[in-house]
Amino acid sequence: MPPSIHPVDLITALRHKHLTPAIVFLTSRRACDEAMETFDHADLVLPPARQEAIAVALERITIQHPSIAEHPLIPIVRRIGVAAHHAGHLPSWKIAIEELMRQGHLDAVFATTTLAAGVDFPARTVVITQSSIRKSRDFTDLTIGEVQQIAGRAGRRGKDHVGFAIVTPSPYIDLAVLTKGLTGQPEAINSQFTISYPMVLNLLKAHPHEHIQGILAKSFAQFQLNQRAELLEQKLDAVHVQMEPFGPRVCTDWITQWHTFDHARRHRHTRHQTHRSEPPEISARLPFLTPGRVVGLGRGRGIVLRQYRSKGQKNSMLTVLRPDSAVTECPVTSVREVYDRTCDCAETPTYPWCSTDTFDRLSHQLEDLPSHVPVLPILISPGIEPLPDAIVQSLGDFPCPTCPSRPTCQKDFITASRLRQEQQRHTKSIQALRTSLWHRFQERVEVLQKFGYLTPTTQLTMDGEWARLIRIDHSLLITELIRADAFTGADPSLLAGVLASLAHDDDRPGAFPRISTGLSSLLGQVRKLAESLSPYEDPPLLRADVAALVERWVADPTLTWIGLCRLTTMAEGDIYRLLARTLEFLSQVQAVKSTHPGLAESASQALTLIRRGVLEELP
Amino acid sequence: MNTDELEQLLAQQPVALLHRLARGRIHRHFRAGKKRLIELLLQHSIQNRAGLESDLQALIGEQHSRSEAGSSRINHPPAITHKKASPRGVGPESSETAISLSAWLEGLGVPSPQPFVPDPWQSEALSALNETDVVISVPTGSGKTYVAVEAARRAMDDNRTVIYTSPLKALSNTKYTEFSRIFGFEKVGILTGDRQENGQAPLLIMTTEILRNLLYDAASGEIDVRLDTLGLVILDESQYLADPERGVVWEETIIFCPAQARLLLLSASIGNPQDIADWLTSIRSTVCRLVRHGKRTVPLRAGYLHPNGKLTPLFRTLGIPYGHPSQLHPEAKRLFLEYEEETLPGGRPRR
Repeated sequence: MPPSIHPVDLITALRHKHLTPAIVFLTSRRACDEAMETFDHADLVLPPARQEAIAVALERITIQHPSIAEHPLIPIVRRIGVAAHHAGHLPSWKIAIEELMRQGHLDAVFATTTLAAGVDFPARTVVITQSSIRKSRDFTDLTIGEVQQIAGRAGRRGKDHVGFAIVTPSPYIDLAVLTKGLTGQPEAINSQFTISYPMVLNLLKAHPHEHIQGILAKSFAQFQLNQRAELLEQKLDAVHVQMEPFGPRVCTDWITQWHTFDHARRHRHTRHQTHRSEPPEISARLPFLTPGRVVGLGRGRGIVLRQYRSKGQKNSMLTVLRPDSAVTECPVTSVREVYDRTCDCAETPTYPWCSTDTFDRLSHQLEDLPSHVPVLPILISPGIEPLPDAIVQSLGDFPCPTCPSRPTCQKDFITASRLRQEQQRHTKSIQALRTSLWHRFQERVEVLQKFGYLTPTTQLTMDGEWARLIRIDHSLLITELIRADAFTGADPSLLAGVLASLAHDDDRPGAFPRISTGLSSLLGQVRKLAESLSPYEDPPLLRADVAALVERWVADPTLTWIGLCRLTTMAEGDIYRLLARTLEFLSQVQAVKSTHPGLAESASQALTLIRRGVLEELP
Repeated sequence: MNTDELEQLLAQQPVALLHRLARGRIHRHFRAGKKRLIELLLQHSIQNRAGLESDLQALIGEQHSRSEAGSSRINHPPAITHKKASPRGVGPESSETAISLSAWLEGLGVPSPQPFVPDPWQSEALSALNETDVVISVPTGSGKTYVAVEAARRAMDDNRTVIYTSPLKALSNTKYTEFSRIFGFEKVGILTGDRQENGQAPLLIMTTEILRNLLYDAASGEIDVRLDTLGLVILDESQYLADPERGVVWEETIIFCPAQARLLLLSASIGNPQDIADWLTSIRSTVCRLVRHGKRTVPLRAGYLHPNGKLTPLFRTLGIPYGHPSQLHPEAKRLFLEYEEETLPGGRPRR
């Protein structure tokens, strides 16, 4: 039994039950391509009339989009009436497939789930083979909304009485996710509001600083934060009600009063227990005073032979080997220095507490010690702060022992203090919810002030005026690059290359075309700047291969699309998207022409140079 | 049947059956485990051996016929409704019979062309749009585009400008072609990151980012006069509001949308459309109207296709049992379990 149904069998089964046209959602682009390969020698051919119809329709589309004329999938599409449609294809191919599907020529399209979100592309049947999708490197389970989005493609209005969503298992399927997705209520959506640098600049350009809090309060983010805050306020109200019996008594703030009294009372008892404790600076040393440790004493140095406690002594004691093989006992307090030097020491349970060889060796080593030995740095952990004696002694001053409400205070204290903590926690979180957006805005403002886009009075500086026109990802990096004159004198191809590496956020690997020295040095500069900006803005991937690819396309006008695709292993569709995104970034850079005419000129040259071949043909 | 045989037979039965057998015979039988239950039943059998045995046979027979009925239904489409000996102790879902494949496939086909009549929700949305902003949350393929087109037509008849935004350039291009066909090329323009055509047309299609930028430029004084005549802003695929990277653009657009323009938010089914409507009400001058429904125009059925080519319904019911994900068709359940057993957790088949 194969792990999942063979595509040819799948199409046969669907045709047999009259469930075509169908969209088959597969896990990956590669799965789609492999499914197409299985049709190479399949004998599922369409009747000649339908083959002819597809050929005619394809020809009509080819007139508009010549780039699909040589597409390798065309024979299968014509012969069998199935096609693949995923992000690795050129938009023109996707348009062609969508058009064929709309006209009802195709029996099945193998697609990735990106199709479900994007295009208006219905069929009679959808086939679901997976329960998870790849989202930024990981596979995550489909949400209910996504399952319904996928299943929603089934059933064409006016063309079908019913639509079918057919689940077919593959090794990566979890049926429960799909049944839940098909039968459940879609998830609630949540705001994803983020405050970007251009947003701050544009807001401050149009509105005075004091109005901004009001504008942020209009966001859906704040609406949802308010909803949460209101829930907490209800809880807070409930806590207030519960607090009622614990209102003011003999003293207004009896909870604090009792807390202090109770603490003092308990402390007094522990205080009089006899205990032998070293001051923290001594007790921190104890773990280091092991046999073999070199220590400095009042007179000369010595090597510790053992550490022990003696009944008559307040402190721990040491047995120390002194110069001239003398063995002395001393309390740890007499140790002046603990050195960063230990000698091997074989311990024995009787005097002189180490084996005879060791004793001789240690005596020698002690003689031979250099005059300067580094001192061991010892971290002293602060001891537990005792309650000031004043409070403890003034225990008699507390009114509590004789207070009439003492029994009730004592009884209620635990509940009341818990409630009060809860109250304080809720109040704090409510305040945080109400003001968090504003704080995030202020943080951005501070960064922009630091970099000089805003004056201390939150007016836009000269730089701020043009920087607000760059409204894309990594805007801070781009404006800083412009200010650092990184692009001065750079020709259009270099500019396009760098912007491409900024724009491309996909980590699908591509083969590495040769990279020019100019571009690699410029990219190095960009990378350095991006790293220095990383506390303020996430650095981009800055892939050199995509930069080199775009640079070649701009620099060499004779390069054909096929030639470009041969330079890399990236899929056509990815290259197209890369160039389209670079176009978007370039047109943003072009917007600063009034302040940076040279740069804008370079950008507009790059724009015209990129728009050729396939990119010109598409809208 | 001697006592040993009876004990063996009892031990083979599932504990649920033993409990049913013990009902009325043994006090507090539900507290006993299987072993103790058998012991007690045997003790009891001393008094009325024959009654116990006959009841046991009846229960076993009943269980057999039920499991057979479950698996054989597919092979014999005109399924015989199974009569249960005792309705007690049977779950509510298993009391209905599961749908057969032929019934499930019935009704498949192309409907005869019918004159287009707008659905009630479509008319409701359009009439609401005369007075206020509207949020529409309906399943995919319900005909949101019809509302968008009609709303745009009405606004344009009023000499108002209409802006239609979509999250993707591809979608914008599709809509541009579609709207040009409906309204004529001179009436429709498109503005995307790298395409500008007919920018003075009364109906402008753009990506949401472009509209956001326009609104920022208008707010900062570089006034686009045409925003004054803006009568309607249609935001398609508004569920993008929750997109981690781009969602913020929808919020900005809605916040800065001029007060005199109506907002029409079109969205797929989402869990909290009322929140969106409440939010719009709280920031816009009029009370936003929510139009939602969960019923699909073309009903949906779910099926299960086994790798060996066998097709069965996925659920017991004809349609999708909303809210009851566990009502799986017994045949689909059986086939999927079989599949899971045949494939190792690593995903490779055990040959």
